[in-house]
Amino acid sequence: MNTTTTRLNALRGGQPPVNHNARTLVGLSVNPGCARRALLDACGADKGTVARQAGHPWQFGQSRFALARGNAFEQQVKEYGGARLLALLRESLDLPVEQVAYIPLKSVGDSTGREQRYRQTCRALVGAARGGPDPGTLYDHPMLRLNVGGNDVYLEPDLIAFKIGDRFYIVEIKSFPVIDRQANGAQVAAATRQASIYVIALQDLFATNGLDPELVATSVFLVTPKDFGNTPIATLVDARKQISMLNRQLARMDRIDILLDLLPSGLTFDLAVDTTGVPTRPAANLAADLRRIPARYRPECMAHCELAGLCRDEARQNASLDVYGQGVVDIFGGVDTTHTALALAEGRQPSDDQAGVARTLRHAERLRAALAEGAA
Amino acid sequence: MQNNEETLDELENRLAQLRRALRLAMVERDAARVAQLRQQLHRAESLWEDKAAAEQPVSAADASDASAPAPVSPDAPVSEPALAALLPTREQVHQTLSLLEVPAAPKLITAVHEAFFPGELPASRLASLRRDEERSYRSAPNARPYYLCPALTADRLAPARALLTVSTWPLERRIMGAHSPRVDFLTTATKIASALISYSQLGPRWTPDAQTRAERLLRSFAVSIPGALGPPTLAGHVPALDPDQVGDAAKAELSVHLEVDRRQRSEAATWARDRLSEAERLFGNRLASVRNSASAD
Ligand code: SF4
Repeated sequence: MNTTTTRLNALRGGQPPVNHNARTLVGLSVNPGCARRALLDACGADKGTVARQAGHPWQFGQSRFALARGNAFEQQVKEYGGARLLALLRESLDLPVEQVAYIPLKSVGDSTGREQRYRQTCRALVGAARGGPDPGTLYDHPMLRLNVGGNDVYLEPDLIAFKIGDRFYIVEIKSFPVIDRQANGAQVAAATRQASIYVIALQDLFATNGLDPELVATSVFLVTPKDFGNTPIATLVDARKQISMLNRQLARMDRIDILLDLLPSGLTFDLAVDTTGVPTRPAANLAADLRRIPARYRPECMAHCELAGLCRDEARQNASLDVYGQGVVDIFGGVDTTHTALALAEGRQPSDDQAGVARTLRHAERLRAALAEGAA
Repeated sequence: MQNNEETLDELENRLAQLRRALRLAMVERDAARVAQLRQQLHRAESLWEDKAAAEQPVSAADASDASAPAPVSPDAPVSEPALAALLPTREQVHQTLSLLEVPAAPKLITAVHEAFFPGELPASRLASLRRDEERSYRSAPNARPYYLCPALTADRLAPARALLTVSTWPLERRIMGAHSPRVDFLTTATKIASALISYSQLGPRWTPDAQTRAERLLRSFAVSIPGALGPPTLAGHVPALDPDQVGDAAKAELSVHLEVDRRQRSEAATWARDRLSEAERLFGNRLASVRNSASAD
């Protein structure tokens, strides 16, 4: 075990590590400059529990109901060896009728170890890419691996990869409806981003095994229910833009070992669970350790990170303008906090790069005062 | 007709006949006959157990089925709700699997049971079945005429997730190769289609509710089989369901896959017969050794 792994384990403490999935990696790439999140994710800490234990529980993402519906839909598309999926692929891609082989990769015998499953996935996919005697068509629940910030993370996708001709495609099953062939743009974008992570991981798998990463198609199949019903439809989405964007963001992420070097010694996310598994670490103590790692809060965090409650509080306490989003930050170029903004509005002498903003703020302050007088 | 001179084989034939007759009586909602057959079955089972204990145990894989009408005599009627409770879960699952003749997941077993057999069989009751069956087998191997076992994966002969089979089936049928999910899916469609055809001849004795469920189930298969449904009748209307057409379409696609599937399954079965103990053949190989020849195909 190398020292980075040892240090990450110490950082996480006594709890078992949680797996990455595309959602967590997309979240990570939304805020590539945040060391706090990068470290929490790299060590496999359960951010939801950490945030709760630090006194800042944060709920985001799908409701329980939506999750249950999503799972039911996915089950329906995948059951009976992906029968529905085969029908869709035959229809939209002219998948030959002989191609029905279905390879479940969810477990290796009774074992579900990550490394073992990853090796099994490699064996199956690399074998198929090399044109084994009987290459498969659908691969359910492959275990993928990706190097993030110099650290290997396992990806546990709920999906199917499939092969037609000599190309592999990623299929992402999502339960948001497509009405009259129109889906909510934001949902499609999010689903495409997630699928792109798998494209990148699959490309990486082939490259690691001496095969051409171009074997992986850069378009992904989005399978969604049609018009609120349960009939699945497939849409081929060009994901090239998302793939290159995610690649850039992943590359921009600081190296984990460098981040680890900057940490004060003794810092840990350990929850000090008692014999019954209940965390006993005092909230203030855990929160203090979290705050010792630099974060970069922005409103997007609210939809992507379990720590958003804690980080937003912190940003508010520091009167940071980040709380109001990139738009506001851009308008206030050169001004970081609400304290500075108010001082400028009330006449404080601006620095050179604040001159433009200061004029606007003073103008706004005059209008506000005039309105207040009129109302009085 | 029943005496102590019956051999185990004859007894087992009679048990199979009784079960079949019982199934029919239940479908026909003939409560009196059900009660009476149930008693006969019970007596025959105890007899079988005594005999089996006295003789060499038969291999579970050798127990066979046969068909002939069962002996019938009048008996006290039982009430309707009692009908449902008559068969233990394992027998309900057995009768359903005997209709399908392919490995099936609890969800499918429940759906088929709801459509073709009286009584309830909630999927939750199937959860512990596999474990119970294995425990029963291990405590007294082959004491029962059949066991409900997992299907086996072709590459490792490990228990396949969630799929149930019957121990008396040929090993080939209980093994899942890469093409088997599709082959079994199509086979299931043909079985449901023919059951639907023969049950609809029962007339009002097959409840309209059950028939609707059977049709819905068949349709859910048909949508994924090329040529199984006609074109939509009107814009937005679902195409009509013709069980014959579904069966034919499924058989047509089956002919494409059968050969390659049979080869994979029988290769794995040969391997299993050579290497595995009977218990492992029934309940799966728990050691994660891989068959090199057939891995990942
Ligand atoms: S919520 Fe906090 S930890 Fe999470 S990404 Fe945002 S700033 Fe970083």
